[in-house]
Amino acid sequence: MTTTTRDRGQNIIEGFDKGSIVIGVLSLLLLVGIFAAVGRLYVGLGESTALSDRYPWGIWIGFDFLLIAFSGVGFTMAGLVHVFRQEKYHDVVRPAVLAGLMGYSAVLAILLLDLGRFDRFYHFLIFWNPHSPLFEICWCVLLYTTVLMIEVSPSIFERLKWERPIRWVVRAMLPVAIVGVTLSSLHQSTLGTLYLNMPHRLNALWYTPVLPLLFFTSSVMAGLALAIIVYAIAARISDQEPKSDILSGLGKIMGWVTLLYLVLKLGDILVAGELSALFAFDRMSTLMWIELGVCALLPAALLLIPGVRERKSSIYGGAILILLGVLANRFNATLFGQSLPSAGGTYSPSIIEWLTTLGIIAGAIVAWYFGVRLLTMFDESHAR
Amino acid sequence: LACGECNGLPLKGAVPDTLDRSAYTCLQVHEVIAADKSPKTLYVKRQCMHCVHPACVSACTVGALRKTPEGPVVYDADKCIGCRYCQYACPFEVPTYDWKDPFGLIHKCQLCVSRLSEGQGPACVEACPNGALRFGRRDALLAQAHGQIVSNAGRYVDHVYGENEAGGTSMLYLSPVPFDQLGFPVLGDEPIPHYAETIMKGTPIIAVTVASAITGIHWFLKRREQKLSTAPVRNSDAGAEE
Repeated sequence: MTTTTRDRGQNIIEGFDKGSIVIGVLSLLLLVGIFAAVGRLYVGLGESTALSDRYPWGIWIGFDFLLIAFSGVGFTMAGLVHVFRQEKYHDVVRPAVLAGLMGYSAVLAILLLDLGRFDRFYHFLIFWNPHSPLFEICWCVLLYTTVLMIEVSPSIFERLKWERPIRWVVRAMLPVAIVGVTLSSLHQSTLGTLYLNMPHRLNALWYTPVLPLLFFTSSVMAGLALAIIVYAIAARISDQEPKSDILSGLGKIMGWVTLLYLVLKLGDILVAGELSALFAFDRMSTLMWIELGVCALLPAALLLIPGVRERKSSIYGGAILILLGVLANRFNATLFGQSLPSAGGTYSPSIIEWLTTLGIIAGAIVAWYFGVRLLTMFDESHAR
Repeated sequence: LACGECNGLPLKGAVPDTLDRSAYTCLQVHEVIAADKSPKTLYVKRQCMHCVHPACVSACTVGALRKTPEGPVVYDADKCIGCRYCQYACPFEVPTYDWKDPFGLIHKCQLCVSRLSEGQGPACVEACPNGALRFGRRDALLAQAHGQIVSNAGRYVDHVYGENEAGGTSMLYLSPVPFDQLGFPVLGDEPIPHYAETIMKGTPIIAVTVASAITGIHWFLKRREQKLSTAPVRNSDAGAEE
């Protein structure tokens, strides 16, 4: 074990160029973000944000919903390996679950800043409104973050060499993963249900009763895409070459899920008779085409056409495009695809909103990076 | 202004024309062309519509908003966490947030519930000198409104705003011009929270279905693997956690 530790030390010193610069910049962003967050908590929402009664939600909510979708990486991989028994992808689970935990932690931090009465954040535990999508999301996020902690814990116990807890957790892994997938399918879809209370605000191209299904499917897409990225980076950090059968396997599944999303979304537009709105090429239709073209059509082509999908660049490119597309989708639903019943007012995020958001996300990345460095990511077979 | 006094709101010089933290009601002025082609100045008093199926109540994370059996939609400031989802759910843009307060809360018309419980009418209705505002049971007011449209032929458009909008509201309006000219949103008859509530009610069923379905798939896959491994065709991967 001592030799491995020294190897690690050497790796850290050798990798002091590119990686450290990135981590340094991110840490700086985190520091600035912390100051901005303290400022926000001190002065209140009116002075620190560009939010108003016309636009009560801004980029904080946008990034929250985006990060929850990205953090679908945890349940997607835990589900694929532990529940659907695809042992081939075992190496991806630990980096993925760690990324999921960091993502949800970032969500909680941003949410706390966004709450007008952040001092009452626990109220959803006491005062229940089961009809409210946000109520359900709060509960699921709380419970699922606990699930993620349990799923991450074996790598921490291994590091600490606590043999007995490892055995307990490993035995509990299957039920925990089942609970995790269930909680995730609930709140990932409920994020879509949330918008069903806004038929007067959300543009008809996005508003549909099947939004919950679309949100769930796109969270699986984003989860698989982030799994590919996270696995590739974790392997590099650990001085390994990412296994190409894992990458191509994930890429293929991701392609099929994306195709399913396309069928659902276009089918819904067809059934709702909104084809003319889709081809109107006004502002809304252009936004939808960017989202669908980037998010779905292009990556589905990259990942499903034989001959193209074998290339590593197709897989990475497809994954990045899908992440960008889900980003476009969540921001369209929260901001750009919304219009007010009456005219007037604009929203352009304040500097504090940007600094806190970037700082918190940077913090999540830095924490993930050190997690990958310090914990055993590619377990038993490599460590022993 | 009676409203501000009654609700203890900071008074402003002029009558406000938009709702905000210090105005539970407001007066909007609309220059319109009436049915007989003559230009007209109309005053529209806006406030919470006290919906029959309020979306804000359905959306509120902590149940701080509540529809009382008597009609008013009331707000419990002690529960509110300031998430502002109600502002998105409301089609009339009624709930306002106190942006200046570091511990901000939601503000909206409560239809003077405390006065109602003492047998008085809402402050705005009692302050109105010429009966433009009336207060009573919803069915009685609806009948009165339709009667007024019939007996004053041509004076009002044949539409009581709030009768069916978003499943109906407890505030009813009569107007000489179509309501969209007065800034009222055009809404269907379906209550806003219709879809979301249907889905939310299914939550326990969805949870049980997903959990048992994936457990079933796991069990099936495991059995198939065990059968395969007895026939030595394929080797299962090493490094499994079990």
